Amino acid sequence: MRALVLLLALLLAACGPAEDDRTTLTIQRFFGACEAEYGAVTDIAAAQGECGIMTAIINRFEAENPDIRVVENIVFWPGYDQLTAQLASNDAPDLVTMHGSVISDYQARGLIEPMDADLAKIGIAPAGMTEAARAAITIDGRVWGLPIDTWAPLWHINMNLFRKAGLVRGGRPVLPSSPAELIAQAEQFEARTGKPYFVQGAANEYAGFTRNFYTFLMQQNGEPFADPRRADFTTPEAAEALRLFKDIYDRDLTTKNQDYSAAVAGFLKGDGGVFLVGTWMVGDFQAASEAEEGALSGGYAVVPYPQLYARDVTFADGHNWVMPADPDRTAAEHEAALRFLAFFSRHAFDWSRTGHLPVYKAMIDSPRWRALPHRDALAGLATSAAPLPKGVRRQFPIETIVGQESAAAISGAKPIPTALADMERRVNDILKNL
Amino acid sequence: MATALPQQVAPVATHPPRGRRAAGWANALFVLPYLAMFVAMIVVPLAMGMWLSTTKGDLFGVEAHVGLANFTRLFGDPIFLETVGNTFYFVVLTVPALTLIGLGLALVLNTPARWATVLRTIFFASTVLSVTVVTLVWRLVFLPDGGLLAVISEALGKTPIAFLNDPELAMPAIAITTIWWCIGLPMVLFLAALQQVPRELYEAAALDNAGRWTTLRRITLPAISRTFVLVVIIEIILQFQLFGQPQLMTLGGPNNATRPIVLFIYETGWRQWELGYAAAAAQVLFAMILVAAMAQYVVASRKGAQ
Amino acid sequence: MRSQNRVAIALVVIAGVLMLVPMLWVLALSLKSNAALMVDTNSVFDGVFTLENYAAILGDGQVFRWIGNSLIVSLGMTAGVLALSSLAGYGFARLEFPGRNILFVIVLLGLAVPEQAVIIARHQLFSWAGWHNTYPALIIPGLAAPFGVFLMTQYFRAIPKELDEAAMLDSASRFTVFWKVLLPLTIPAQATLGIFTFLSAWNDYWWPLISATNKQMFTLTVGIASTQMNFAQTEGLGFLMAQAVFAGAPILIVYLFFQKYIVQAVAGAAGR
Repeated sequence: MRALVLLLALLLAACGPAEDDRTTLTIQRFFGACEAEYGAVTDIAAAQGECGIMTAIINRFEAENPDIRVVENIVFWPGYDQLTAQLASNDAPDLVTMHGSVISDYQARGLIEPMDADLAKIGIAPAGMTEAARAAITIDGRVWGLPIDTWAPLWHINMNLFRKAGLVRGGRPVLPSSPAELIAQAEQFEARTGKPYFVQGAANEYAGFTRNFYTFLMQQNGEPFADPRRADFTTPEAAEALRLFKDIYDRDLTTKNQDYSAAVAGFLKGDGGVFLVGTWMVGDFQAASEAEEGALSGGYAVVPYPQLYARDVTFADGHNWVMPADPDRTAAEHEAALRFLAFFSRHAFDWSRTGHLPVYKAMIDSPRWRALPHRDALAGLATSAAPLPKGVRRQFPIETIVGQESAAAISGAKPIPTALADMERRVNDILKNL
Repeated sequence: MATALPQQVAPVATHPPRGRRAAGWANALFVLPYLAMFVAMIVVPLAMGMWLSTTKGDLFGVEAHVGLANFTRLFGDPIFLETVGNTFYFVVLTVPALTLIGLGLALVLNTPARWATVLRTIFFASTVLSVTVVTLVWRLVFLPDGGLLAVISEALGKTPIAFLNDPELAMPAIAITTIWWCIGLPMVLFLAALQQVPRELYEAAALDNAGRWTTLRRITLPAISRTFVLVVIIEIILQFQLFGQPQLMTLGGPNNATRPIVLFIYETGWRQWELGYAAAAAQVLFAMILVAAMAQYVVASRKGAQ
Repeated sequence: MRSQNRVAIALVVIAGVLMLVPMLWVLALSLKSNAALMVDTNSVFDGVFTLENYAAILGDGQVFRWIGNSLIVSLGMTAGVLALSSLAGYGFARLEFPGRNILFVIVLLGLAVPEQAVIIARHQLFSWAGWHNTYPALIIPGLAAPFGVFLMTQYFRAIPKELDEAAMLDSASRFTVFWKVLLPLTIPAQATLGIFTFLSAWNDYWWPLISATNKQMFTLTVGIASTQMNFAQTEGLGFLMAQAVFAGAPILIVYLFFQKYIVQAVAGAAGR
């Protein structure tokens, strides 16, 4: 009964918003909700993790800008269905988080605002950004958003197991420089530890397959999208990228049936040597390595994908702020959005503590960032991280298809040439009907 | 024209008093509020969807009229045809099971005894969970790495099976999840029907010393035959629309083995922004459900007429 | 015969236990700390439990707003469906009017319309009307579901015609017959329909997701979904399960209440 009264009281309290004449800034984002833990936190430096740091930055911004009321819409990842519905019903937020890979879809339909003049106004120069960050927001010579970060898949390494496998030299992990070396080292690892070399979230989860496939295709100088309107996957390079992972799978050098969260838990438990997952896990694993107990305790390293073929490159994407087009947005709301973007870029260092690669070259070169754990090893990503060409539209559904067909080939459900032919046909079916 | 004719003829045939026709129109007032909703929320959107299926465009506007091109593309699209097969397979796996298990449960649990009340509540409880939770729980059951079934099979000294990662087993696993989740509805519908069967019929049967089996066959089943048809039709309609379970458990994989039509529609419309093509697939699904449900209805009513 | 009966009951009891295992597991996980679950889900069996996940849900007052929205929408839809379906069911089952049979068939055909075939057009309709992010927008689409009309028509047809004919002889109006004589007899059907309407409204996900985009208007399912799925945050399993229990509990209570009501209604009918 008391709970019911409490509930009613809270409902009533929530129903009576106070009148205010502040400018409303609607920020829509993913990265999860953590109001319970960070709802009142304004000390950004004390926040941890994507959700915590983002929430604290927004809280701090609101505290420092009493004339702005921030409405924070947190959406189910990745939030594009909701955004699309909102844009179709002319209910656009002022700022939205968006992956670099999908910006061109919204830009091509005139759904987001160009921001060259806006960024200039708040003193942000795209020239100071990394290649990958600048590419993410640049279409036809114009800028369409403010990059938040660049992410790339990494080799997260359990150094305790690597040591046991004899794969540590001079305190650093020994990494392969060719496919043959990779297989040799992985077999040595398995022989000495009794565990698979790789941990992968590969069950009912396709993003990892796509990242691996794109990365090792690019490393062989493969260009699947030489023509952005026609994919070309039926190449020897594409077949080699799949063959490598099929070989790893057939030789039992990887965990096979873990889904994403099982793989994360598995790596923390010491199920294998190398976890193939993105920059977003650096912080969590570092924290696990600082703990007294656990498989990673005192033994965690992280490096970019090693160069196994001709070119040192890793497939990458990134998060960005974009401003949806909205004829009803007032000058004051526009100004509030810019003030937030300026505030956010002043706190870019705080965001880089998530593990994601900073947007600004100067920050990557700064001693402050280098002093964060493992950042020296990751700095190379500033030049080696490469998104797909901007002209390629519908990258989001295409990634799913590429991942599904790669998974089918690697698990042996289909021969590699069939999977690549199916992949190419399905992707081109999308691109042909743009 | 054809519909106007019987109305003019009818008064002549039945000789109703003049006031009766006015009353006839007044009677329609009972169904009018619902029909208004029906037209606004189903007929109009459906008509718009049919029109969209002849166009090319996204949520932000129609680009071109393409006639039946979307439909010809659909029937040449191997992925779509695979989703049609997957959907039928899923319906075959689930609808008979849900109907028969639901009937069995209702027959056993149709008693006011306390244990039956408890069991009824248990069998219904899963229905209240949302699809997000159901799929999460069952992923944890099927997971070969620390999942419930894996723990059991390891205890029995067997290698755990990756149900959701095996093209042969993924769909049956989704079907089991669905039966667990949805069994409450058919059970309750059958229970409600059983409670409507007049007691006198059973009393008469008892006087005739009819056996349990005979009573079931001669009295109970005929009395609830209408509900039986209802349950089958409802389940056909519901299970043809399979969506959330594969979307959240398998993403349609492995190797497309669990991608149903609605997931295809969703991916095409919302992820690939091909609204016209998605609308065409939705029309095909509508037609299939209609045929399946009607066939069931016709078969049942023909049987009933005999 | 007896033994047959016992075998059937035993089978059902076993099935009941199997049904229960995953649910008990949800409950157990909801009482575990997220950190312990991240390392090993088998830690469920170590006997250490906590209420921290529930505290986390309550600590964030938003969830009450979402529950309030879900209640308003589910109750509104249930009331609307019961009213519209009862009226229409009576009309189709008992009354003569031009085009009755063809209209009923058309409504039945509506049963076969999948949500995905109409949802985009519906979204556009509500956009034109400017109704998104309102309660009516969340309630109205559910009122058109043909299932209720079908069910109520079937029930009204099953009631002996002599009942209303006797009342008509007393020169009661059509509406009085419907309201006073027939409607009370349909209570079991109302309860069944009510549960399922409430249930589908409570668990509906797609329409609220794209219609209620303002956090103040989120229903519980959308609100809970918005807090999930963050790739850097896989440790929230216990929290997620607590949310599931939290979201499922109100509806289970509703069911328990209606279930008792069904039994009473039937017992009452038998006693007469």
